[in-house]
Amino acid sequence: MLKRLISWAFTVAKWNVIPANLPLFFVGRFPSDQYWRLWVILGMIAILSGMTWGFLARNSTTLFDKKSLITIGFLGVLAVITPVPIVFRFLLVGLLLLLVAEAWGGKIVGNYVPLIGKWLPFSWFLLLIICVWLIGGGLGLKVVQTNLWGGLMLTLLMSIVSILLSFPLGIILALGRQSSLPIIRILSTIYIEVIRGLPLITILFMGQVLLPLFLPDQVRPDRVLRAIIGLTMFSSAYLAENIRGGLQAIPTGQTEAAKALGLNTPLTIGLIILPQALKISIPAIVGQFISLFQDTTLLSIVGLVELLGMSRSILANPKFLGRYLEVYLFIGILYWIFCYGMSVASQKLEKQLNTEHK
Amino acid sequence: MTQIQPNTNSVQATTEDYAILATDVHKWYSNHFHVLRGVSLSVRRGEVVVIMGPSGSGKSTFIRTFNALEEFQQGSIIIDGINLSHDLKNIEEIRKEVGMVFQQFNLFPHLSILQNVTLAPIWVRRWPQAKAEEVALQLLERVGILEQAKKYPGQLSGGQQQRVAIARALAMQPKIMLFDEPTSALDPEMVREVLDVMRTLAQSGMTMVCVTHEVGFAREVADRIVLMADGLLVEEGTPEEFFNNPQEERTQKFLSQIL
Repeated sequence: MLKRLISWAFTVAKWNVIPANLPLFFVGRFPSDQYWRLWVILGMIAILSGMTWGFLARNSTTLFDKKSLITIGFLGVLAVITPVPIVFRFLLVGLLLLLVAEAWGGKIVGNYVPLIGKWLPFSWFLLLIICVWLIGGGLGLKVVQTNLWGGLMLTLLMSIVSILLSFPLGIILALGRQSSLPIIRILSTIYIEVIRGLPLITILFMGQVLLPLFLPDQVRPDRVLRAIIGLTMFSSAYLAENIRGGLQAIPTGQTEAAKALGLNTPLTIGLIILPQALKISIPAIVGQFISLFQDTTLLSIVGLVELLGMSRSILANPKFLGRYLEVYLFIGILYWIFCYGMSVASQKLEKQLNTEHK
Repeated sequence: MTQIQPNTNSVQATTEDYAILATDVHKWYSNHFHVLRGVSLSVRRGEVVVIMGPSGSGKSTFIRTFNALEEFQQGSIIIDGINLSHDLKNIEEIRKEVGMVFQQFNLFPHLSILQNVTLAPIWVRRWPQAKAEEVALQLLERVGILEQAKKYPGQLSGGQQQRVAIARALAMQPKIMLFDEPTSALDPEMVREVLDVMRTLAQSGMTMVCVTHEVGFAREVADRIVLMADGLLVEEGTPEEFFNNPQEERTQKFLSQIL
C-alpha cells in the first residue's frame, strides 16, 4: 500500500494545487496588502521562541546539538524551496536566522539575568494580544473583518485562545466539583455533565446559528468569538474531568501535612495539591488540547473558513476540481505537525517536572 | 477502669501551665463508631508524653484532634491557652504552634528538601526567603540532612525523609510537637536515626506527644506514658511505674504482648 501511495504521489498526483493556493491555506482571504502585519507577527514569534529556547537551555553546554542543527538545516532548506515569491523566501530564511540569533542571545542573557525567566510567560501573553490586534486591525491599523480571517492562521488562533481560556476554567470546574460547598459542587457537576452529554457540533451550531436568533443585533458577538466560546465551554468540561482525576490521585496525607503546617485551604490547593495534580494530568490535558485543536475542523461545517474550510473552498474552485487526495494529504500533514509538536512538548515538560527518580 | 482526670480544680490557673489540656473528649465516626469515649489528658510545658496501645485503640485519632485534623463532638481541648473550637481562625492559630510528624512522612514530592522546610515559614509566618532558608539549613544540619537540601524527597531513604519531616515541622518554631507513629513505616535499620533526632529534641525541652511502639524510646525519653485501649485512657504513669508495676490488667496484657 505504501508503495502504491508513493508511486501515486510521484506520478499521478498533481501537486500544483498546493503551491498555487499556499497563501489561502495559511492565511485565508487576508488582504495581501496587509500581509506585512502577519510577517511582523511571525518575526515576533521567532524572536520570542528563540529567547525562550535559549533561556531554557541556558545551563546546557551546547545550544545547537545534533538534533537541533538537523532541524534548523531542514527548516532552512524548506524555506528556500518553498514555492513562494523570492521575497517571501528571503523573509522565511530571515525568520530562521532571527530564531537562531535570539536563541544564542537568550542563552547568554539568561545566564547573566536569570530574572528574565519571569518575564517570558508575560511576554508570550502580551504577544498574543498584539497578534490579535495585528490580525484584526483597529487602533490606527486598517480593520480586517473576521470573515476574512481564515486558513491555518484562524485554526491556530482559535485553538490557542480556546486552550488558554479553557485551562483555568477547567481547573476551577475541577476544584468546584470537589468543593465542600454543596451549591458550587452541584453547579460544577451539572455544567460538566451537561456539556459532556452534548456533541461539540451541537454546541457550535447553537453558538453560530441559534444564538444570533435570540440576541438583538447590537449585542451579537463576532462569529470567531462565538466559536472560541463554544470550543472553550466544551473543552473546559473535559479538562475538568482530567484534572479531577489528578486531584483524586493525590494522597490525603498531602493535605493533612499542609494543614498541620498551618497552610489555609487556598494555599494548600495552590501550593501543594494543584501542582501535583496538574503534573499527573499532563498527558490527559495535552490529549485534550490536541483534540481541541483537531475539533476546530468542525467549525468548517458551521461556515468558518479555517484550514479545513479553506481547503474545501479551494476544492470547489473549478480549476482544482477533484484534487481531494493532494489537498487533504497536505492539510493532514499540517495538522500532524502541530499535534506532534504538542505531544513532544508535553513529554519534555513531563520529564522536566519529574522529581521522583532524577 | 480508672478515668484519669487532669487537675481541674481551677482551669483558669492551670491553662497557663499546660500545653495541652484535653477534657472528656468524645468522637464518633460518621458510621456511629464511638472511637474516643471520653479521653482526658493534660500535658505540661516541656513534658514528653508517650501514648501506647494496641492498634485501633484511637491513639492516632486522639493526637490528631490536637491540631484539628480530626473533629471531636464532645469535650474540650485547650492548646497553649487557645480553645480548640470550631472557629477556623483558632484552628489556624493552633496549627502554627503545633508541629506534626506523620507515619508516612507526607513530604511534598514536587518540592526540594529545602523548599519543603521553607514553605510554611514563608507562606504562613511571612518570613523573607533568606531568613526562612537560613533557619531551614540550620535545622537540616541539626537532623543531619544538610548535604541533601537540593534533592527531592523521592531521592531520600525513609529515615532521611522522616528527619526532613521533623525539620519541616520545627521550621515553624512550634511550641508543641506531635508524633504519630513516626517510625512505624521505616525499615528497622533506619528507626534509630529518627529516634536519635527525637531524643535530642526532647532533651532541648520541647513539649512532645508521641504515639509509638518503641519501648526503648518510651522508657528512656518519656516523662509519662499513657496506655489507650478501646477509645479510653487505661493507665498513666512514669516509665518506671508503667513498665515495672502496671496497675491495670489491660496494661499487663498489653505489655506481655509487646515486651
